[in-house]
Amino acid sequence: MKRDLFLILVIVVGLPAAAVLTHWNEGHSRDLRVQYADEQLYMNGPAMKRLTLAFNGLAADWYWIRSLQYVGRKMVAYEDTHTGSLDLNSLSYLDLRVLPSLLRMATTLDPQFLEPYYYGALILPTLNPDEAITLLNQGIAANPGEWRLYQHLGYIYWQRGDYNKASDVYAAGARIPGVPPWMMAISARMKAEGGASQAAREMYTHLAESSGDPTVKQMVNAQLMRLDSLEERDQIRRVLADYTNRSGHCVTSWKEISGTLRTAGLPIDASGSPLDPTNVPYRLVKGGCDVDLDERSELPRR
Amino acid sequence: MDQPNLAESVKPATSAGTSRRVFAIARNAFREAVRDRVLYNLVVFVLLLIAGAIFLGEISAGQEAKIIVDLGLSAILLFGVFIAIFVGVGLVYKEIERRTLYAMLSKPIGRGEFLLGKYLGLCLTLLVNVAIMGVGLSLALVYVRRGWDPLAVRIWPAIFLIYIELVILTAVAMLFSAFSSPALSALLAFFVFVIGHFSADLKTLATSMDSAPSRWVFAGLYYLLPNFANYNAITAAAHGQPVDGGAIAAGAGYGLVYVAALLAATTLVFSRRNLK
Repeated sequence: MKRDLFLILVIVVGLPAAAVLTHWNEGHSRDLRVQYADEQLYMNGPAMKRLTLAFNGLAADWYWIRSLQYVGRKMVAYEDTHTGSLDLNSLSYLDLRVLPSLLRMATTLDPQFLEPYYYGALILPTLNPDEAITLLNQGIAANPGEWRLYQHLGYIYWQRGDYNKASDVYAAGARIPGVPPWMMAISARMKAEGGASQAAREMYTHLAESSGDPTVKQMVNAQLMRLDSLEERDQIRRVLADYTNRSGHCVTSWKEISGTLRTAGLPIDASGSPLDPTNVPYRLVKGGCDVDLDERSELPRR
Repeated sequence: MDQPNLAESVKPATSAGTSRRVFAIARNAFREAVRDRVLYNLVVFVLLLIAGAIFLGEISAGQEAKIIVDLGLSAILLFGVFIAIFVGVGLVYKEIERRTLYAMLSKPIGRGEFLLGKYLGLCLTLLVNVAIMGVGLSLALVYVRRGWDPLAVRIWPAIFLIYIELVILTAVAMLFSAFSSPALSALLAFFVFVIGHFSADLKTLATSMDSAPSRWVFAGLYYLLPNFANYNAITAAAHGQPVDGGAIAAGAGYGLVYVAALLAATTLVFSRRNLK
């Protein structure tokens, strides 16, 4: 009985003591995870695939989750030190140098795992478009029947302004059986008017329709609002140019042209300033001769 | 639990008598495995799946079904490998250690019958283990998808192939245990498991070597060692891709032939072993 009590005492005292020591240790030692967070992977994909024996699928899942957590941690760290939230268009502010390797590892271990390709197609272009193109080409080679990979690759070429290449990729994807008919239509449109605003609208709309990812839909919404804003700014510039031609000088405040802007169908606030799609007033620049987004506006700049 | 009366099964060497004796030993080996709490690994498996089903949804960005299948099938293989190796190497050794083998072999039971019975008993243990884990995995998938998921059925060909792999590995472990200590047998069997998954590299080495003897050595190893790469359908199953019926039949056929050869070799070694 005495011995049992002693053993129970050891357990009751020992476990909390171990917890206290762990806590103390965490506070007094360097966090190696932070130190090595951006360390490149030691092993390449093919070697890792061999070493994982029959467990390559599970290892691919692990690298996939690690990719998500890597980006997530960086975003949280950024948002902790900056005001405002971070979206897909401003990921270049994050130093995501290990992400391409993590995604490459996940897709080498399991080449049929499509999510890392889609994720890479969305995030890598803002960091390193060539990495994104390489990843998607590998994805297409391993999954030639997946038309969404062609859609993403075409989108990246379109973003780079390489409309001919984008058109070719969309056309190649359109040849896959069961592909939505707009893939071929987009291919033709890329060839004819790749840089046109209407073509961009179609691209974004189809991208949102074919993706179930809320982050993609959020990015598309932001890009569609950016296109609206670009059209609005063109309209405002025409009004500003007319005013300058008539009066011989640029406007000093929005009030001078608020009536014309309202007639043109642009949203105006109480002070007469035109509002961008996020309801933040545009600002006059270049001495009142030009218009730009206000610094407070959360619209993507590119 | 009732002990089957081995003496009753012992009859002159007819095929019916042989199978009765083999099945009696197999049934005993299965009961012994259950008594030894081998199936307790199922508890760990269930806990793993429950934890996976609850937490993976939050960290996998919508890939929980794929990851549950990868996790579940990998766990079935891993637990199975541990059982096949660690129980497999002890099957004969424990009987010698406890001296129960002498009592058994004093009856008209052949050493080959004894080995086959022990082997089939462990295969039955593995079958029950793998089948229960498979059902658990299917249920976990239904839970994760909040309803019926075709993956719950499509994973079964992969589970069958895993079982065949384990059956081969058990025979490998038994072969080593027929002439070696349990620790060394376990180590050697584990090496065979690892090398069996490198068979594609052995073939590449065999074709890329300059000297003819090296080519023969690697080609010989490629054909001699079990080709476990044929049984790896985990990744395909996780993507819901069907496993080719021909591949399943070929895998089963290969397993049958390979196990027959291994058991024959084990019997040859064991029948020459001095048990005094």
